[in-house]
Amino acid sequence: MKLRRTGVLLAALALVATGCRDSDDGGGGGGDGEISAPGVTEEACPDAVNEDNGCIYLGTISDLTQGPFAPLGVPITEAQEAFWARVNEEGGIGGYDINVTEYVRDNLYNPQTHKQVYGEIEGDVLALAQTLGSPTTLAILPDMERDEMVGAPASWTSLWAFEDAILESGTNYCVEGMNAVDYMVAEKDISSVMAVHYPGDYGGDGAAGAEIAAEANGIDFTGVETAPGQEEQAGAISAILDAKPDLVILGTAPTETAVIVGQTAAQGFTGQFIGLGPTWNPALLATPAAPALEALYMQSGYWGPYGSDTPGHEAMREALGEVEQPNDGYTAGWAWSYPLKAALEEWLAGDYDKDRAGLLEAVQSLETIDYEGMLPEEAGNRSGEPDDNIFRASVLSKVDKAAPSGVSLVQDFTVGPTAEEHTFEGACFEG
Amino acid sequence: MTELLEAVLRGLGTGSIYAMLALAFVIVYKSTGVINFAQPAMMLAGATIATYAGPAIGVVLFASLSFFLSVGIAALLTALIALVIERAAIRPMVGRPAFVVAIITIGIDIAVRVVAGGFIGLGARPVPNPWGLDGVDLAGVRVQQRHLVSMAVLTVVVLALLHFYRRTRYGLAMRAAAFDQEAALTQGVNVGNVFAVSWAMAGALAAVAGSLLAISAGVDRRIWVVALIALPAIILGGLDSLEGAVIGGLAVGVVQALVGSYQREVAPWLGDNFSVVAPYVLMLLVLLAKPYGIFGTPEVRRV
Repeated sequence: MKLRRTGVLLAALALVATGCRDSDDGGGGGGDGEISAPGVTEEACPDAVNEDNGCIYLGTISDLTQGPFAPLGVPITEAQEAFWARVNEEGGIGGYDINVTEYVRDNLYNPQTHKQVYGEIEGDVLALAQTLGSPTTLAILPDMERDEMVGAPASWTSLWAFEDAILESGTNYCVEGMNAVDYMVAEKDISSVMAVHYPGDYGGDGAAGAEIAAEANGIDFTGVETAPGQEEQAGAISAILDAKPDLVILGTAPTETAVIVGQTAAQGFTGQFIGLGPTWNPALLATPAAPALEALYMQSGYWGPYGSDTPGHEAMREALGEVEQPNDGYTAGWAWSYPLKAALEEWLAGDYDKDRAGLLEAVQSLETIDYEGMLPEEAGNRSGEPDDNIFRASVLSKVDKAAPSGVSLVQDFTVGPTAEEHTFEGACFEG
Repeated sequence: MTELLEAVLRGLGTGSIYAMLALAFVIVYKSTGVINFAQPAMMLAGATIATYAGPAIGVVLFASLSFFLSVGIAALLTALIALVIERAAIRPMVGRPAFVVAIITIGIDIAVRVVAGGFIGLGARPVPNPWGLDGVDLAGVRVQQRHLVSMAVLTVVVLALLHFYRRTRYGLAMRAAAFDQEAALTQGVNVGNVFAVSWAMAGALAAVAGSLLAISAGVDRRIWVVALIALPAIILGGLDSLEGAVIGGLAVGVVQALVGSYQREVAPWLGDNFSVVAPYVLMLLVLLAKPYGIFGTPEVRRV
């Protein structure tokens, strides 16, 4: 009994000690008094590449184990580690190495958990290298504003264009929906479109874009909401089979993509599917739906897939080395890191207050970002009004078993007429 | 008419899987008085084992034979896992309130799911099988082969269970223990073994159901949620009734398929996803008429 009590006491002491260590680590102002932002130290990073550099800590909140987007969250996080390791190997930024491995938290794709772990790391990091998911990030937006925290999202909802603290990259779900419809109107002269989607600011945002484009083109639009889960797709499947639309825009997760495309094809549907970016996972090629996907499915995207031929893609493949299963989570994680790198360079080199507010100001002054060819430089413009800043070009890929991530480009960056004309006055999806 | 028949057959196919999951719940409930909330995890573990066993033996044999072999291996190994769990975590709790044991099974569920999740990895793992989403034409009615396979497997399972409970010593002992544990003990029935066998049987059934479920889109970490649909099935069938589990499972499958196919035309005001809640609505309707489920034993207490 006594032994057990001692054990409990020791465990409690250990916990208290850990707590103390955390608060010691972070929040340190610059040694020379110049930089007074949390998460920036004059001490070198743990396992630093450049021993003489100080250290900037960036936080990561991702879906890493149990959540529905873990198949994307894990490669996104790995790619970002590789991205910042490369930055450090090239000498760091303005006398600082960047550390993204010290404050990595799992959000389980749950807004409450997201908010809780944000609170845990907020005082220890300068900015967020990744905040995964739209509903999860929405949950911490007020906190981020209060803390003047800048963050790179891992989602593409159109709301981000209207939030100063969010450093989004590429186009958004809403524009994707528009461009997909415009593409099919131009190529196949379609007369009806159906959006099958999750409710909320992922699927709902893409469906809203498809609806705007359908209206602009004078074709029929139907929206069908569906719930996550293999066995929950009966309603969506029969809706597609009843209405037989020429085009189905999908805004679900990969499993539902396989079930919906596979089952409707098995029951004789021959229309075209275009999935928003997150609907694809190369593992789908091992499911029985593979032949149907090859015949009927195209993936819309925000930049070229893993195997694309740009300096940025090449640098990513080299930095990652041999990966078990190439996946466009890697591509996304890598591409999303460029704006934060550009912002840190601008902040450290320019005449800004050396605190978080100064970093936010530096973010807002960016007019171009060097994405090493993954996106055009002007896609990084953050200095104008949201409607001017929104990047309106998306890409389209087809299923290609030989390509590293199972898809290859059929149409490079293109802006459809609807997106070109549309004025964004707010997020397309307003929940 | 063809469309209606096709929907019913789809429903019976998925319902057969629900029925097996429901049987697994009922078998444990009957002999131990506990709802085993670890059942979803056992299903996940079983299906995961099948994804590993399939490729290992698939090369040398016919595709369908190798599918059933891999399901057999999965059922055996899952039964073993269930035995170990029962011995380690449940047996020491004999005599404690059923509620306490049920809560322990929730803990086991989480633990087993995390371990199985590690073997699944991040994407979906396919269970190699010859049917995929292919269909056959039965007198003008199109039905997917996997649904026919599920129905056939359920038939075999039900026949085997009937034989087991009616004709074997262990089956008799389990019925005796379910009826009255103390009386069974005094008659020389080893009630501990009865618990163990019921857990093993439930584990094996869950593995079979999980492997069949995974034919269409593989095994991912979220597939365990499907096992929870067995809960309305057992409650509407009657918690302690094997017939009830089978009928309940099939009914839930058919209702889900019919609601999925027709509700948008008949009652669009119910929204896009009414089929997701339909099993629970069905359960409530049945409970209004029969509070112990269709085949459940009414609990009579004299005061």
